[in-house]
Amino acid sequence: MTETVMECRNLWKIYKDVVAVRDVSLQVREGEIKLIFGPSGSGKSTLLRCLAMLTPPSKGDVFLKGECLTKPGVDLNKARARIGFVFQHIYLFHHLTALGNVELALRHVLKMPKEEARKRAMEALAEVKMEKWANHYPVQLSGGQQQRVGIARALARKPDIILLDEPTSALDPELTGEVIDTLRDLAKKGTTMLIVSHEMPFAREVADEMIFFDAGTIVETGTPEHFFTNPTSERAKKFMMRLIKRTRRE
Amino acid sequence: MEFLLKYLADILQGFIVTVEMTLFGVFTGLALGTLLAIGDLYGGRIVSAIISVYTEFFRGSPIIVQLFLFYYTVPSLLNTWVDGFTVGLIVFALNSAAYQKGYIKGAMAVISEDQMMAALSVGLSRVKAIFYVILPQALRIVIPAWSNEFCSLTKSTSALLVIAVKDLTSVGNMIASRSWRYVETFLFIAIIYLLWVTAVAKIADKVYERVKIPGIELSV
Repeated sequence: MTETVMECRNLWKIYKDVVAVRDVSLQVREGEIKLIFGPSGSGKSTLLRCLAMLTPPSKGDVFLKGECLTKPGVDLNKARARIGFVFQHIYLFHHLTALGNVELALRHVLKMPKEEARKRAMEALAEVKMEKWANHYPVQLSGGQQQRVGIARALARKPDIILLDEPTSALDPELTGEVIDTLRDLAKKGTTMLIVSHEMPFAREVADEMIFFDAGTIVETGTPEHFFTNPTSERAKKFMMRLIKRTRRE
Repeated sequence: MEFLLKYLADILQGFIVTVEMTLFGVFTGLALGTLLAIGDLYGGRIVSAIISVYTEFFRGSPIIVQLFLFYYTVPSLLNTWVDGFTVGLIVFALNSAAYQKGYIKGAMAVISEDQMMAALSVGLSRVKAIFYVILPQALRIVIPAWSNEFCSLTKSTSALLVIAVKDLTSVGNMIASRSWRYVETFLFIAIIYLLWVTAVAKIADKVYERVKIPGIELSV
């Protein structure tokens, strides 16, 4: 059996009087692709941010390759350096070029020498087919190109896992294709990923497991085939119907 | 205006004092103001309260009052004689820091928490995130406001007259009272201020044009 890369046990995130994440446990193994989907506002982004320790969970534990990140005294910067994160709204560093965005952590987190960092950053940009745009600033790129740079930024450190928070949902429909193609390439290379997405054809193609998430918790898990043919819960059924209808319309 | 010719050396001396005072004030103020802005935003409630007392004092009282206060207290605190020029340097640096803290903090706040989160997500520590992600953007945004601060500080230095430092205004005052030609003298002095301030504003614009980055020049 392959190694578990990321795991959370009984994870909760509670804001003042709102429970955003409710008792969630999940595991992602080496080379696996898991896809979380569910209604907006159901806590998917919060869950991902808790897993990356960008938001501290209220209760429960997060493990990265067996190492507990939620106990006191853990060097979270080191842990975060081993997790790639791709944001829905991209959040590239505005003052740096595409290359600068990818290079920054290589230079100042992994402390690579300049030449080596540059080489590695260019490789990452090549992986998302953005090497020609290395010297462009974020505003000079389209949304899809920006998101590909965002993916390169997450990839460059060769992280243990990449978490992607709705990487295409802030983009115009005609731009989602290029980002999905990039993700498909990563999937082929065996990249371990946990993706929040509603791109159903893509999910069906690459996901090892799909997780239906609603009201802060996991409602149902299964293979794409399971969800496309015969989901068990009423909520998942309804949601799948709506998604499939929407996809057809597009 | 030939009578001014024989005072040219004095005028030049005064101008140099004004320039020294302004440059020292504005650059020390920039460094100190940046630290204060970081402390205010990330230092917690107590640090932020202390910083706010500091800035309210310097922004809320007249510069002449500040100069007098320091002129009469600093020497006794340090138990040694301190000349007006040194007191001026200290007051203008502290005063400018209070104003520049406001501008820099504003610019840092514009660069929203998303940038901080993105910086943390790649493994940078908070301190490194401020240094490599937040400040490089904030300092660029702040240049136009900084140029205003320079202009206003230059003019504030004329208050040095009250503690007998021979800056440009004070030299002008001396010439006027000796020659009894108030209008010509102060007109000439005013023109020197105007040329200097305009020149610096132009330089600041050039610097801004050079370092500005497409997409983040907005909302200034």
